[in-house]
Amino acid sequence: MSLTPKSVDFNEIWPNLRSTAEAVITLGNVNRSDWSTRFSDVYTLCVAHPEPYADRLYNETKQFLENHVQNMLATRVAPGPCSTSSVNGEPDLLQRYYDAWTEYSQGVKYLDNLYSYLNQQHIKKQKISDAEVVYGNLSSDTMEQMEIGELGLDIWHIYMIKNLSDDLVKHILEDIKADRCGSPEITPNRVKVINGVVHSFVQVRGYKRTGQLKLYQELVEFPLVMASADYYDNEAAKLLKTCTVSQYMEEVIKILEEETKRAKKFLHATSMWRLRKQCEDRFVNRRLDFIYSECKDMVSQEKRKDLRNMYKILKPIADNLKSQLIHTFLDHIKNEGLETISTLSGENIHIQFVENMLKVHQKFHELIADVFENDSLFLSALDKACASIINRRPGDRQPCRSAEYVAKYCDTLLKKSKTTEAEIDQKLTNNITIFKYIEDKDVYQKFYSRLLAKRLIHEQSQSMDAEEAMINRLKQACGYEFTNKLHRMFTDISLSVDLNNKFNNHLKQENIDLGINLSIKVLQAGAWPLGPTQVVIPFAVPQEFEKSIRMFEAFYHKSFNGRKLTWLHHMCHGELKLGYLKKTYIVTMQTYQMAMLLLFESCDSLTCKDIQSTLQLNSETFQKHLQSLLESKLLNASSESLEGNTKIELNFDYSNKRTKFKITSAMQKETQQEQIEHTISAVDEDRKLYLQAAIVRIMKSRKVLKHNALIQEILSQSRVSFTPSISMIKKCIESLIDKQYIERTPNSGDEYSYVA
Amino acid sequence: MKLTIKSWTGVATWRWIANDENCGICRMSFESTCPECSLPGDDCPLVWGVCSHCFHMHCIVKWLNLQTMNKQCPMCRQSWKFNIH
Repeated sequence: MSLTPKSVDFNEIWPNLRSTAEAVITLGNVNRSDWSTRFSDVYTLCVAHPEPYADRLYNETKQFLENHVQNMLATRVAPGPCSTSSVNGEPDLLQRYYDAWTEYSQGVKYLDNLYSYLNQQHIKKQKISDAEVVYGNLSSDTMEQMEIGELGLDIWHIYMIKNLSDDLVKHILEDIKADRCGSPEITPNRVKVINGVVHSFVQVRGYKRTGQLKLYQELVEFPLVMASADYYDNEAAKLLKTCTVSQYMEEVIKILEEETKRAKKFLHATSMWRLRKQCEDRFVNRRLDFIYSECKDMVSQEKRKDLRNMYKILKPIADNLKSQLIHTFLDHIKNEGLETISTLSGENIHIQFVENMLKVHQKFHELIADVFENDSLFLSALDKACASIINRRPGDRQPCRSAEYVAKYCDTLLKKSKTTEAEIDQKLTNNITIFKYIEDKDVYQKFYSRLLAKRLIHEQSQSMDAEEAMINRLKQACGYEFTNKLHRMFTDISLSVDLNNKFNNHLKQENIDLGINLSIKVLQAGAWPLGPTQVVIPFAVPQEFEKSIRMFEAFYHKSFNGRKLTWLHHMCHGELKLGYLKKTYIVTMQTYQMAMLLLFESCDSLTCKDIQSTLQLNSETFQKHLQSLLESKLLNASSESLEGNTKIELNFDYSNKRTKFKITSAMQKETQQEQIEHTISAVDEDRKLYLQAAIVRIMKSRKVLKHNALIQEILSQSRVSFTPSISMIKKCIESLIDKQYIERTPNSGDEYSYVA
Repeated sequence: MKLTIKSWTGVATWRWIANDENCGICRMSFESTCPECSLPGDDCPLVWGVCSHCFHMHCIVKWLNLQTMNKQCPMCRQSWKFNIH
């Protein structure tokens, strides 16, 4: 076969080509040589000399396809004598359409191949480019030649679908309705037919650049969604009459699942969410009042199954519609939490507080994971509820004590006890959960550092590792500033250990025996919360100690130049061996108490006046410590009141089951209330300083600032450690104005400016 | 011996003994820190010169770095030498 253009007779070639095309489109038998000949015929016609026949070929083919489709409609698909519904196993309209479409769509694809030269060389060239489609203002009905495959589909649309669409859609909707009722007529085969018909509306438009789904949406989706909405409404109304809320929700979930499956089965994938949305709208959004009607009971009784169902059906809808469930849930947590902490009483109230709160938190955390799929809305509701429980003040005037409880809880855990280390570690980690909700973190810090100081000085810590791990956790939660004093305290203790070793070595080298097992802790004055008793009480150190203390001081001054040691005798303690009784006792007591007892080394009775003047103690300290010795029965007094000439004697009849014991120090008897009040007032002072510093910092950088803006800045800066009251901020501003750090701007009442 | 001391655990705090209340460079009290530090004590130590004047270490180091010619004590103008005991 020659490829050169030659002169041919169209009328001679066309009939052959036409008959082959007919065989192709009806999926008839076409042998290979025929196919090849016709393929080159298309070529020959397109390149014919002197005038190519391409346009004529196109028009003839179009005519042929139009006739073919019209013929198909009339003879095979259209509602013939045997009506539209299937009788006696005769295929009904849908089936007939489906069969015709399956054949035709396949045939057109083959025909497209046969005409590929025409498509490639003739039609592609005239096609408007993408750019013209996007930027040009072409009217859609320009007479444009289409590729043969596309032409076939278009002709199908014009002559077949336009004529039949109403009937087809009516049948589809009827069948889907039947499927909803569970009709046995909807066999898998039937599903395939419907699916095929539905998809033909999409495929017939598949070649288009835009709006491929438009036909499908207009013909099927829109009517179906409308019809479904009515159906859902009816169903919902029916269910409402017979079901309880919990049954209703179960039904709705079932229906939603079924509808999703149904959409997958029958429809194009894009319709699924539209149908589902309609379904949710009718069953859930419009029935919210009903669904919520038992919400309160379900939440308060924690009916997990119902709540899970409720969450499932509420999940896809807008957040603001869920708020009722979330609020109810939040209130429930709050009620339960407040209930568990309102009944606390007794010695270990702090343990109960933390553990009860933890139980509440864990319980609801687990519930959210189990029921609400860890939804962030619910988790934040839990956070809100916990924060409000933990930071609630019992009364207007009373401070919130949570920070104190949580700090004390840590103290209990970290003190020596029988609990295993792993368990302590776990509990401390949990404790952080509660800690994070505390607003007054600075109060917690005050209590914590005070308790830590006590543990470190009196060597009550269970393990240093646990202590350090806890401080690191706090650091993680609140930052370096929050814990650097705590770290400092830690360092001091380890430095002291080194120092004691060095001192002991030094003693050995110098061959000095002090006769006392000495252990000294040297603390850095600024870092330790040593409380109001930091004021040094005058005290004449008994000579038994004096040498040791002098030695240590000398050693210290040699190692550290320019430092002065101040002894905190109220914190010192020691062990005294009592050798004058039937048994030997070893008693742990404070330095002051030791000093008093040591006076009896050389005599058996002394007057109060003697003791006080020898030790040079002030009368408050003296009374307190002597009282504790009297209470321990180691000493006897001649009268109740400890006046100047009251006689104090050693009690030689003393006996105790234990040979090693401790005299409760007078300090520990300091009333709890006093300590708490003191801590809180110290925190208040710190806050004022913190706020003033913050105000100065802010004003220094901003120069001029409105009152409200300043308040906002301060609140955002202080959030890490506490939430200051507005009145406190105002007081601080006033005091800074008095100190002339800032001033009110002359022309505006609520504006401040920085005074350099 | 009726009474014997077996052991004693002493607790003491330390502070600087300087010949002045305030650092002559930053005018902050020796009890607190130099303006750059936040925690007094080991982290912000004091140093003494041979001339017996005392400063925050951070302050005097900064001062000495600013002096191009001969390094002098800012108080008495004698040439500065650290007094290392």
